[in-house]
Amino acid sequence: MREGLLIILFMIALTSLCDTVNQLFLKSAVDSLNFTPEFNFRKIFRFIFQLLIKPRLWLSFVFSLISLCIWLLVLSKADLNFAFSADSMHYVFIALASRFILKEKFGHLRWLGTGLIVAGIVFVSLS
Amino acid sequence: MFKKKVTLKILLMLILSDILETAVHFFFKKSALAQAEFSLGDLPGLVVFFKTIFFSPFLWAGLLTVVAVFIVWSTILSKIDLSVAVPIASFSYILVPVSSAIFLHEQIPALRWAGTLFIIVGVILVSLSSKERIARE
Repeated sequence: MREGLLIILFMIALTSLCDTVNQLFLKSAVDSLNFTPEFNFRKIFRFIFQLLIKPRLWLSFVFSLISLCIWLLVLSKADLNFAFSADSMHYVFIALASRFILKEKFGHLRWLGTGLIVAGIVFVSLS
Repeated sequence: MFKKKVTLKILLMLILSDILETAVHFFFKKSALAQAEFSLGDLPGLVVFFKTIFFSPFLWAGLLTVVAVFIVWSTILSKIDLSVAVPIASFSYILVPVSSAIFLHEQIPALRWAGTLFIIVGVILVSLSSKERIARE
C-alpha cells in the first residue's frame, strides 16, 4: 500500500483539520457564553439552549460530519491501528491553532509533548 | 482548584471510557470494512459507499457509543482535572492496536508500537502541561 500511503495520510490530516476547525468553533461558541460550570440543572439547560441557537455550534457539527465521512473512507482503506495512531496529529493541529489563532500561551512541556507526538506519527507512518 | 484524587470509582469510569472509545473505533472500522470498493475520483462510487454505510448497524452502534463516551467523559471531567484524566485515558492508544490485532487480525510491526509509545508519552506531557500553565498564572 506504499503509493496509497500518502493519500491515506493526506485524508487523515484532512479529518484532523476538520476536527480542529470543529474544536475552534465549539470553543468560540462556548467562550461567548461566559458559563461557569456548576451543578444547577436550570443553568445547564439554559446554557445548552443558548449553545444550540449559536450558528457557530452548527458549523462545528457540519465539520464533525465531514470529518466522520472522511474517517469512514480512511477506515475502509487502512488498518485501524495505523489510522488511530496517525489521527493523533489532531493534537498537533489543535496545539498550533490554539497558539496562533486563539493566542494561548504554552510552556516547554507542551511543545515537548507535541514534538513526541509528531515523532510517533512519523514512526507509525514508516512502519 | 485542582481535583487530583483518583478514587476507585473514577478509575473504573476511566477504564469504561477507554473501552467505549475503543469500541467506537472498532464499530466504525467494522462499518467501513463491508465496502472496500471505491476510488477517490469516482463520485457515484462514493455515494454508494456512504449509502451502504448509512444503513450499516455498526455505524449506528458506533455513533451511539460516541454519545455514551461523551456522557461518561463529561462525568469524569466534572470530578477530576483534565490533566489527570487524559494520561489515564490515553490507555486507548494501546487498547486500539491490541483489539485490532485480536479482533480484526491486523499486523502490527515493532516500529508501529514504538511510534505508539512516543504518541502516548507525548499525550501525557501535553495534558500535564495544562497544570504548568495554570500554576504560572
